[in-house]
Amino acid sequence: MIKVQGVCKSFAGEHVLEDITFDIASGEIVVLLGSSGVGKTVLLKHLIGLIAPDQGRVLIDGVDITSLSEEGLLRVRKSMGYLFQEGALYDFMDVFDNVAFPLREHTSLSGPAIADKVREVLKLVGLQDADRKFPAQLSGGMKKRAGLARAIVLGAKILLCDEPTSGLDPIRSRDISDLIRCVAKKIGSTTVITSHDIDNSLRIADRLILLNESRIVAVGTPQAMRVHQEGFVREFLRV
Amino acid sequence: MITRLLDNVRSRLTHMGEAIFFLGEVLRVIGRGKVRFNEVLNQMYAQGVQSIVIVILTSFASGMVLALQAAITLQRFGAKEFVARLVALSLLRELSPVFTSLIFSGKAGAGITAELGTMNTHEQIQATRALGVNPVEFLVVPRFLACVLVLPVLVVISEIVGIFGGYVIAVSQAHIPGAFYVHQTMEAVDYVDFFSGLIKVFFFSAIIGWVCCYHGFYTKGGAMGVGQFTTRAVAYSYIAVIISDVVLTKIILTIWG
Repeated sequence: MIKVQGVCKSFAGEHVLEDITFDIASGEIVVLLGSSGVGKTVLLKHLIGLIAPDQGRVLIDGVDITSLSEEGLLRVRKSMGYLFQEGALYDFMDVFDNVAFPLREHTSLSGPAIADKVREVLKLVGLQDADRKFPAQLSGGMKKRAGLARAIVLGAKILLCDEPTSGLDPIRSRDISDLIRCVAKKIGSTTVITSHDIDNSLRIADRLILLNESRIVAVGTPQAMRVHQEGFVREFLRV
Repeated sequence: MITRLLDNVRSRLTHMGEAIFFLGEVLRVIGRGKVRFNEVLNQMYAQGVQSIVIVILTSFASGMVLALQAAITLQRFGAKEFVARLVALSLLRELSPVFTSLIFSGKAGAGITAELGTMNTHEQIQATRALGVNPVEFLVVPRFLACVLVLPVLVVISEIVGIFGGYVIAVSQAHIPGAFYVHQTMEAVDYVDFFSGLIKVFFFSAIIGWVCCYHGFYTKGGAMGVGQFTTRAVAYSYIAVIISDVVLTKIILTIWG
């Protein structure tokens, strides 16, 4: 479903990603783990074409998105959902309109059908009572939930989540992690999550990819990572 | 030293190219008819409301000051009856188009840059792309078109209010009969005076929309960046308006005399 082949990226001469290669199967939940600033978000943005690699390819369902024009990318992105770190909700729209936005843009559903769909998704993320609130009135956790609702409202085949637990307390972090896994499994999304939250990552991931110094240092299931012999992996995962 | 200078020149040329490419994208979206009319109306309302009070106040004051100065100066030559002509022609040909554009740039233009800049720093522009929507179509084109449509309306209001300001002073201070002032104004103003001002405003509004949207769209550096890019957008649009006024005035005078 997702193939990343030899991706390299530099900014102002500084290597952020070097020779990144991995595959993600359909329906899998993969967490990109690594310290802050290691390039997880940059890699995640490559998967939706928000950043183009200097070298290498990203294939989504066999389509090389690095060769697409911006218009081609816009079409591909309709089948993908992206949860931004701070939600990136439109601050001039309330939660309802934020979640309804992709439906209004990409479907021909009637007003009542859109309202039903939005209520259904808001209920799924536990925000059914906050639909008329504006982003400025929401807590960090609520913004992430609203962002998640907007990301999945079109039934994202691929769900990308950028640091969904950052800035949240341990209980909220656990809640949002469980919610993402629950939602992803319910709608059958292939999910990629960036995180440095080890406990939650080990709990919700089908597979983990650990990055260090611009490169992949380990790939494996949570069970395999827990017994990994490589020094950095053991140190990072505190095993 | 020379390397730094060359880097500076290269950076400015890059920005210039980026700005021209950005304008091309805006015009391409408009040319393909991808215009969200409801959004344009919302933006027109927002930009108009932001600027209308200050435009009326400054235009009224400008008309009054112009009439006061004209009355005093022309009285020395026994030509007080030309006050109305001077006020009307000055406002229609130069003052209203330029002043209103500068005010609009400082109010609505700054608002556009700050709004788009804040959206950019909060990843809302990138989120628009991630949602499969062209942010130029959704966020920039409505603001750009609203500038082009609202500013001429504000200029016409400014001209009417300015002439009225001149009328108030002419009647109350220079003791020129009101009916005579109105008659002189109507007689002085030719359609060329009115439309030459409006043609200039069309260019000014496009420049302001372009410069302010571009700076907002490419804002970097968080809250500080929003402030810096907003200030820069207003300064550049002021300079662009004033320089283009000189060029356009020369062209218009050459064609229409």
